[in-house]
Order: sequence, then C-alpha cells, then structure tokens
Amino acid sequence: MNFFLSPLWIQLTAALPVAAAAVLLFVRTPSIAARWSVTVLAVTLLSAALIFAAHTVVAAPVESGRFAVDDVASPMLPVVVMLHLLAMLGTAKSRVSSHFCARLLLSAGLAMFALLVQSGALLVGVLSVSVLLPWWDLKSRGQRTRGYVIYLGLFLVLLLAGWFNLSASPRSPWPVVSLTLAFLLRGGIVPLHGWMPSLFKNAAFGSALVFVLPLVEVLGVVRLLLPQAPGPMQEAAGIACLVTAVYGGGLAIVQNDSRRFFAHIGLSQTSMVLYAVLMRTPNGLTAALCLWISASLALAGLAFSLRALEARFGSLSLREHHGFYEQVPGLAICFLITGLASVGFPGTIGFVPMELLITSSVSKGLGITAALAFAAMFNAIAIMRAYFALFTGRSPTTSISLRTTTAERSGIIAISLIVFLGGWFSPAVVESRHRTANRLLGESNGSPAVSPQH
Amino acid sequence: MPSQESLLSALALIIVGGPLVLVGVFFIAFLLGRKLGETVISRLIQGTVAVSLLAAIAAAVTMVVTRRAQHAVELGDWVITSSYHLKFEFVLDVLSISYVLLTLVLCATIAAFSTRYLHRERGYHRFFVLFAVFLLGMLTAALSDTVETLFAGWEMVGLSSVLLIAFFHERPAPPRNGLRVWIVYRVCDAALMFAAILMHEINGAGDFDHLVGTQAWPRHDPLLIGPHFTLLALLFIIAAAGKSALIPFSGWLPRAMEGPTPSSAIFYGALSVHLGVFLLLRVSPVLDSAPWLSVLVVTLGLGSAAFAYLAGRVQADIKSALAFASLTQVGIIIAEIGLGFRYLALIHLLGHACLRTLQFLRAPSLLHDHHQLENAIGARPREEGIMWEQRLPPAVQRWLFRFSLERGFLDALLDRFIARPFVGFFRRLDAMDGALSRLIEGEAVSPEKSAPPRQPSA
Repeated sequence: MNFFLSPLWIQLTAALPVAAAAVLLFVRTPSIAARWSVTVLAVTLLSAALIFAAHTVVAAPVESGRFAVDDVASPMLPVVVMLHLLAMLGTAKSRVSSHFCARLLLSAGLAMFALLVQSGALLVGVLSVSVLLPWWDLKSRGQRTRGYVIYLGLFLVLLLAGWFNLSASPRSPWPVVSLTLAFLLRGGIVPLHGWMPSLFKNAAFGSALVFVLPLVEVLGVVRLLLPQAPGPMQEAAGIACLVTAVYGGGLAIVQNDSRRFFAHIGLSQTSMVLYAVLMRTPNGLTAALCLWISASLALAGLAFSLRALEARFGSLSLREHHGFYEQVPGLAICFLITGLASVGFPGTIGFVPMELLITSSVSKGLGITAALAFAAMFNAIAIMRAYFALFTGRSPTTSISLRTTTAERSGIIAISLIVFLGGWFSPAVVESRHRTANRLLGESNGSPAVSPQH
Repeated sequence: MPSQESLLSALALIIVGGPLVLVGVFFIAFLLGRKLGETVISRLIQGTVAVSLLAAIAAAVTMVVTRRAQHAVELGDWVITSSYHLKFEFVLDVLSISYVLLTLVLCATIAAFSTRYLHRERGYHRFFVLFAVFLLGMLTAALSDTVETLFAGWEMVGLSSVLLIAFFHERPAPPRNGLRVWIVYRVCDAALMFAAILMHEINGAGDFDHLVGTQAWPRHDPLLIGPHFTLLALLFIIAAAGKSALIPFSGWLPRAMEGPTPSSAIFYGALSVHLGVFLLLRVSPVLDSAPWLSVLVVTLGLGSAAFAYLAGRVQADIKSALAFASLTQVGIIIAEIGLGFRYLALIHLLGHACLRTLQFLRAPSLLHDHHQLENAIGARPREEGIMWEQRLPPAVQRWLFRFSLERGFLDALLDRFIARPFVGFFRRLDAMDGALSRLIEGEAVSPEKSAPPRQPSA
C-alpha cells in the first residue's frame, strides 16, 4: 500500500490531469477530447481512491516534498475528482469542446494540488490561479466578465494582502480580517455572493460547478484561518454564514430558473459548512469535515441531473411543470436522492453530518440551531419544488428517444451508490473526521497546520 | 435453543429487515436499469409483508407466553463523538407490537388490493417502490426506542406519502398538493428534530427509556417536571399535529386525497395519519409534566374533531368526506390521550384504522353500488342522520356552511399570513439581488426587470 503514498505516485496523480489538459488543447475533435477526458479522470479517480485507501491504512501524514497527504486531504482527493468526472459525464456531446475539456482537467489538477500543498504560499498561489478558469470560460463564451472580475479580483486582493501581512506581522488582526473576507467572498457569503448566481447563469454549467463545488474556501479556512487565534471577525463571519444559509435556502424556493435555483442551494450549503468550521468546536469541525464531503457529492449529483436535462431540453424554467419523469426516470430518481441527501435525509450520506451540525450548534445557542434547522427546511422545500416542476406534469412529445446515455447511466449509478453507501459508512467517516477535527483544533492551540513562513 | 432475548431480538430485526431488503432489491433493480414486472413486484411485496407479519406474530406470542412486558433491541451506537452519540434501538412492547401488527395487517390488505386495482397502471412500479419505503418507515417508527430511530422512520413515511400524493403527476393539482403537504411535513419534522436535540440536552441521549424510565409503556419512573419537559412536550405536540393534520395544519388532509385510493387508505385513513397519535402515546408521560399541557392536548383534539366534523358534512366527494371523518376520530383519540386514557386511545386507534381502511377501499365501488340500489328500488335512498344544524338561526347556518365549505379558512389564513409574506419577502430580495448584479455587470436595468415581483401563485 505504501507504493500509493510514494511522492512519485502522489505527484503523478495530481499532475496527470494537468498534463492531459495541455495535450487536449491541441486536440481538434471534441468527441476525442471528451473520451480522453473521461479516461484521464477515471484513472485519476482510481489513483486518488488508492491514495485514500492507503492513507486510511497508514493513518499518518505522508509527506512528499512540497505535497502531503494528510487526513484533511486524503478523503477529499477522490471526492474532487469524482465531481469533475460527473461534470464531464453530464455534459452533452454537442456542448463539448477541447477547451472545455482542458479547463475541466486543469480544474481537477488545481483542486488536487490545493489539497496536497503543504505550504500556505503555494495554497494561496493555487487558489489564485484557479479563479482564472471561470474567467476563461466566460470570455470564450462571449459573456460579460466585469462582475466576475470585480468580485474575484477583490478576492485575490484580500487573499494576497492577508497572506503577505500574515507572514510579515503574524500578531496583527488585519491579516485574519483580510483572509476571512477573502474566503467569505470565495464561498459566496452574503453580501459578497453576487458573483455566484451570475457565474451559474453565464458560464458553462460544468465550469461553474467545478469551480464552486470543491468548496476550496473550506480548505482555505481550515489551513490558513483555523490555526490563528479566534477573534470577533470570525464570530461575525459565522453570523454572516448563518444568514447566508437561511437567505440561500429562502431564495432557492422562489427561483424560476434552474441554474439560479442550484446556485442558491449551493450558497446555502457552502455557508453551512463554513459556519460549522467557524464554530471551532470538535463536533462542529467534525460536522464541517463530514458535510464538506457529503454536500459536495450530493450537490454534484443534483447538478449532474440538471445538466443532463439541460442537454435535452435547453434552459429549464421552474415556473411550469415539464413532465420529464416519463422520459428520464433515472435522472428524476438521481435528482431526488441527491437533493434529499444534501438536506440530510435519513439513510443517505448527508444524514449524520447534518444531525451532527445541528446538534453541535446547540452550544452556541438555540437561535443558531433554529437558523440552521430553518435553512435545512428551506433547502428541502426548494428541492421538492424543483423536483415537481421538472419531473411532473404532462410529458413533452418528442420525435427522438431522450433516454439516458451509457455515460449518464454510469454517472447515475456511481452517484446513487455513493449517496446510499455513504450513509451506511457514516460511522467510520465520522470517527475519522472527528480525529482530524481534534488534531486541527489541537494544532490551532499550538503550532499552526500550515506555516506562514513558507 | 436460542434464549428468549436473542429470539425476540432476531424477530424484531426480521420485522424491519424484510422491508429493508425489499427497498434494497428495488434499488439494485434501479441501478441495473431493470424494471420489474407486475408479478415479480406483487410476489416480492406479499412475501415481504408475510415474513414481517409472521415475525411480528411470533414476537407477540413469545412476549405473551414468556410474560415479558418489553424487550429492547440495541443495534449499537451508530455514531460516537466526544459529546454526541447517535443510537439506533428498537423496542418490543404493547404499543410497538400493536402498531406493527396493525401496520402489517393493513399493508398486506392494501398490497393485495393494489396489485389488482393498479393492474397495468403506468406507475405500478413506482407505487410499490414508494409503498416499500412507506412500510420500512412505518415499521422503523413503530419499533423505535430512540428519537433518532423514530425520526428516520418518520421522514421515510413523509417522503413516500408526498410522492404518492403526486402519483398522478401528469395533472397539475397532485404535485401542487404534494408540495403543500411536504411543506407542512417539513415544519413538523423541524419540531421533531428540535425535540430530539432537546432530549440530548436533557438526558445526554435520545433514548425514550432515558426520558420516561425503564418501565414498560404506559408506566414511567421519573416525575417529569420542569420547563425543559414542557418545551419538549410542546415540540412533540407540534410534530404530532403536523403529521396527524390537527388544527391548524388540517388543510393538507383533503389535498392528500389526490393520490390513488390504496395510498389514501393506508396513509390518511389508517397509518400515516395516526403516526402523530402514536408519537404522543410513546411520549405520553412527558405530557403529564404540566397540567395545562393535558388541557392543550384535549383542546387540540376536540377542536380538530369539531372542525373535521363540520368540514366533513359539506364534502362533495367521498374520499374527502372520509378524510375528514378520519380526522374527527383522530381528534377524539388525541383528546383521550390528553385525558390520560392511553389504553383506550390505543384500542380506538387500532379499531379506527381498520374501519377506515375498509371504507376507503370500498369508496371506488360505492357509487356504483348506490346506482344499482337506486335502480333496484326505483328511487333515491332516504337520507339518514341527525340534521341538528337545521335548528340553528339561518344566519348561523349560512356562516357554518361557508366555514365548512372553506375548510375553516385554514388554508386561506396560512396563505395570507405565512406563505405570501414569505414568498413576497424573498422575491423582493431576489429582485434586489438581480438589480445589484446587473449594476455591477454594467447592464442597463430595464423597467421590465426592475418591476415589483409577481404575487406568488398557489
């Protein structure tokens, strides 16, 4: 098993999608690019899963130069690759281009590097580079980029300023304020959330998805902010996250466009994970680390269903009932179970994390618990409303078969299995995440997890 | 020879294991892309119900023979962290065994009825998948000995019932009504979730025996007095009121009749509508923590019964009339619980569920029978019953008629004071959000886009 934790194997795994992306830029035929992307992502997923399995057996941080597989990164490696694979499988052949495939692979590589890097400087560098991919996508589609540039430019300024000041004057509160604001902005926390619905509306769904769903802001908070002493800024950030959780859930209920609906569900879920991290309690952080996995996967499944529907029927309005169930029942079931998993339905991957989050919030006051419960309730209502709007109603008559393709079918099977089997393996996951949470909190009281000196 | 304890534990696991395996079979069939035929589904359902029913009868007989009042089946701690543990545990006692037997007998009846009633229906497969989820949820909730186990079953029942309300999904009304029921269920689920959290705060665990003592139902050890218990009882009452359609949540009950007749029978005539009653019976000692709680429960029960009686009198379709008749009895059962008659409430529940299932299943053919009867006697049958409201002044009669016809204005009140302000508020926020985004993007804000948000539709 140690072979899979060797520096060479780890670096090859993360570099494979990046190298493949470089090659794909020269491939002219979209179908070939798509096939290669799926193959590369599948191989990377297998490799990431092997690294995770090997790390679970060894159960100690494994360093390989500037990269390390620790207990934060190891379960997230297969998760982020899975997100990218699902994004690829859910993309219609007619909408694939070589550049889209290259961007997707680059995104997968960057997300893996972000998880693996040991030094704070490298993490900041990877997070900074990754914001260029959606911009590239918007540009290539001829969409306006002003809003994106303003918001994400501000993110870069805050991130870099925070990081350099943290290195220069670690005792000053301003770097923490700056970094906190940067990660709130990256997570789309109200009132810094405007870029997220716009991105989902204007960019390719796949590009927006892989930029948002790995929830790298959670990684940033865990690696860079958690080691710093808690202060009023983090308290305020927690409140902003709570407000966003309720706000996102409420807005998701009233959306009439499927992408904006998804963006607001994502907003609400991200903010719940961020709030859980900012609680800085063992149970809260355990819930955050579990939710990070479950929310990413569940939302990826939800988005996968939406993308497959969009590929068939174009943009989807939630104002009327479309009746897609009869034509694509598999997608309907996938949408429902992943949607329910994201709100913590019993038996799914999200149940235990959501229970743990809500229970652990009691220590912060019953008002906080109520806010989280309301957010979860709003999300559940929004998901059922969207389900009914998309899959019930009079079925449209089409002259061609709209049944799910083999690629889509494999995506549905994979995500359904993960969502259900993840529920059964929750105890083991929670136990491992609890150990990680205790370690992180222990380090935050002592030496930082990521040294600012690097 | 296995010991009595291990035999009872095994039987409890078989009761729940049967439907769990059935749901697993449907899931595997979905993964493999195989659609099971009607005969296979019918045999699977009947076999599962038969196995669980035999196990439940065996457990009941064993408990009677061995004179055991209760038996806990610990499945172990599911999740443990430093200050939290999630535990799944079942209990066999008078209450759980009675409810399990009722569930399985009625589900066996409904399954046999449905295989013929829904023969060649497009959604045959979908109906039985949801039926299996419902059965699993009901049995899990009925046998639960921890609030988490109850919550898991409670949620499965809620989901399956909502999807069955929307069963005929090509029409717009069923999904709309399904969504409405889902919203009410989410509110009562949130109350149950809060109750679970409060139980953990009070006892450090979600076990019912930690709360009401280790004695068999309906006895209890500790004297449950204190503000925590009062709040806990209130949360349980809200959860039960939502699930059992008590006032002010009664508006969803007639809407739930959109589903196929077998699901209406089992959900809103027999089992699901009684799940709130079951919850109050399970935690009934908590209701004794303050006298005014009992008064509240009695008032809620009698108020719901009176409302349902009035609304039921003016219904023009048989399923809605039966739904309100169910609610009348559920209200009376709730009042019995509030008065402390727990065994009476349990017996009333069992009898009522059986009677109402029979009435619901007869409903589709009843009109046909009435027409035959009219043809045979050559006239319309004489109307029977006491029309006491005819003795009231005409103005009061008119008001009562309107009140009943509008179902107590409950839906209108919820729409006006909760749904519309909520939707209006978030639509305004959405409009502001959009305007800000357009401003930042440098887009021109068109008058059309900056128009005030639409009023929400139903």
